[in-house]
Amino acid sequence: MNKVQDDLRREAARLLESGDAAMVIAWEEGSDAARTAPAFAVSPAEAAGLVWNPFCVPNLVKYLLDYRYEDTKIAVAVKGCDERAVNRLVQDRQFPRERIVVLGLPCGGMLDRGKTLAALGPRARLNGVEDRGEAFVLVSDQGEVTLPKEEYLLEKCLTCVRNAPARADVTLGPGVSNPARPGCDPFAPVRELEALSPAEKSAYWDGQFSRCLRCYACRNVCPACNCKECSFEQAVPGWQQGAGWISKNTSLAENYTFHLIRMFDVAGRCIDCGECERVCPVGIPLSKLYRKVLKDAAELFAVPTPGLTAAEIPVLGSYSPEDKEEFM
Amino acid sequence: MPAMVLLKEQLKVFLDRYAQRDALVAPVSEEGAVAYRRVKSAEEVTVDFDLPTLPPKAHFLPQTEELYRYAYGEGGMELNPPPPAAQTLLFGARPCDVRGITALDFVFAGRFGDAYWSDKREKTTIAGLSCRRVLPGCFCRAYGYGPTSGEGADLMLTNLGDRYVVEFLTAKGEAVLNAHRDLFGPAGAGDLEEKENRTANLARQFYREVDLRGVREKMDGLFASPYWERLARKCIGCGICTYLCPTCHCFDIVDEPAGPGGGRRLRCWDSCMFADFTLHTSGHNPRPGKKERVRNRFMHKLKYHYDRYGLDGCVGCGRCVAMCPANIDITRVIADVKEVG
Repeated sequence: MNKVQDDLRREAARLLESGDAAMVIAWEEGSDAARTAPAFAVSPAEAAGLVWNPFCVPNLVKYLLDYRYEDTKIAVAVKGCDERAVNRLVQDRQFPRERIVVLGLPCGGMLDRGKTLAALGPRARLNGVEDRGEAFVLVSDQGEVTLPKEEYLLEKCLTCVRNAPARADVTLGPGVSNPARPGCDPFAPVRELEALSPAEKSAYWDGQFSRCLRCYACRNVCPACNCKECSFEQAVPGWQQGAGWISKNTSLAENYTFHLIRMFDVAGRCIDCGECERVCPVGIPLSKLYRKVLKDAAELFAVPTPGLTAAEIPVLGSYSPEDKEEFM
Repeated sequence: MPAMVLLKEQLKVFLDRYAQRDALVAPVSEEGAVAYRRVKSAEEVTVDFDLPTLPPKAHFLPQTEELYRYAYGEGGMELNPPPPAAQTLLFGARPCDVRGITALDFVFAGRFGDAYWSDKREKTTIAGLSCRRVLPGCFCRAYGYGPTSGEGADLMLTNLGDRYVVEFLTAKGEAVLNAHRDLFGPAGAGDLEEKENRTANLARQFYREVDLRGVREKMDGLFASPYWERLARKCIGCGICTYLCPTCHCFDIVDEPAGPGGGRRLRCWDSCMFADFTLHTSGHNPRPGKKERVRNRFMHKLKYHYDRYGLDGCVGCGRCVAMCPANIDITRVIADVKEVG
């Protein structure tokens, strides 16, 4: 992976130097060894600080929207799962594909931060990483540890659909094997919930949503939530406040309203990147909510994970005479 | 007042007395997220946590607080404030969070008294609880206190494994001892020595050296620095850093009409990271972009709060360091501020 990191830095520097991109969005070293931070390189010197390792978890594609009213090209580092976000923004007409330089990174999976820190020690500084297929070998100033993927990867990586972008403008590094485990069912947690009675389901989500802080991190990180202005924070005068979609009041009812409206808004467009669940500060299992919608769409309309291909029309934005009509 | 010892098995008895007689607000684990809730029994309380996900500030400044109900009656408009607060024991506040409450006292009980804050503050006894260990994000030491400091609490418990050394630091704290003398035994020299060892041991665990010298002074000249724009690129504009912060206290007031005859006026947390924060009726926003919002947050934490109240607006709890989805790290900002122009 160290060589791919060198390639990433070199390519970023080249793009910035030649003017082929005005900015390269990738990752840089984070606060600890098992973490990276988004990086926004605008000069070749800044490109030298970019990193590629199994902690490049954040999906960076949505940052493009901060530059949607400019006319420059922007390069963005994209893993297999992140590519679905590129297609999401393009299909939703939020960002033109021709302004994006997709730096594709074949990905052997991302490591769970907590588990890795426990193995690595919280004081370690990362010196190098090797992807050995079945395991990552991490070399730090404290020594070397081998982390079997089966045990240390993020859950989402064990059900990875495609681990390298299909339409990258530049692919960095050689292909690596997909870390998905055969037999891993992405919908297993959804099936468990579906088996509950309505009262049990309700109690389950009451427990989850009651601690929602409505910090909106899930919405803000979501590539499918790309409206310029959100209906949840439209400024309305006091006498109209009852007419808003949602109150600032963080009651259980309002929290439900927020999550369920958002769920319906991204139905058929959620790309299953899992970022909402990653950022939630109070650990609400949001992927169970969104995977339920993915599962329904897959069962009703036989569509794959949204964003997998460039040309598709979101399933709920299209009509086919063959569509099921269970309730009409 | 001399320190006392409370055996671990007596803690439940102690907490249950408050839960049943008055009100007990204590740490509760909700699928791994730890928050302070009003509980009915000590069974619900957890002491098995490091830094709680949420600080206990919400006990004094709830995320949504009813200020009053309003109704149009025959005699005009009627305003009904909520009932006064109950006598409460806030148990298990970490030293950083107690310091956060002290910092907010200047805001809500200073020059402008806030009746809602003060009512709960006066009726609440704060029982601090020492930290089990130092986390990678912790930097309370930079602010001159540490994981066993009792400053600001009414009583302070230091965890010694099978027992707690308890110090009673205020008149409210002494009242606790007087009401529950049967549960406490005298602390011996060995207990106190163990507490000192524990303090020294924790002080050696810090991961970060954070040096605040010169930062506040430097911030004065940095308002127009391009640094804020670079930093703000990472920000996703969510409310995590502000909502988890023990000293952030911005709020918005909204009315929730309930039919034509009246409704409720609510005070709700707001966040300077939100796009509609300080949005004027005219459509103008003095903080129109991420740059201005991120700058505002760090200026407030590292300068404005101190300028106004003589006490820092950051307590070094490290929650924002640990939880920011984009890894914006205030300790890095502190280091950067010294370097950038």
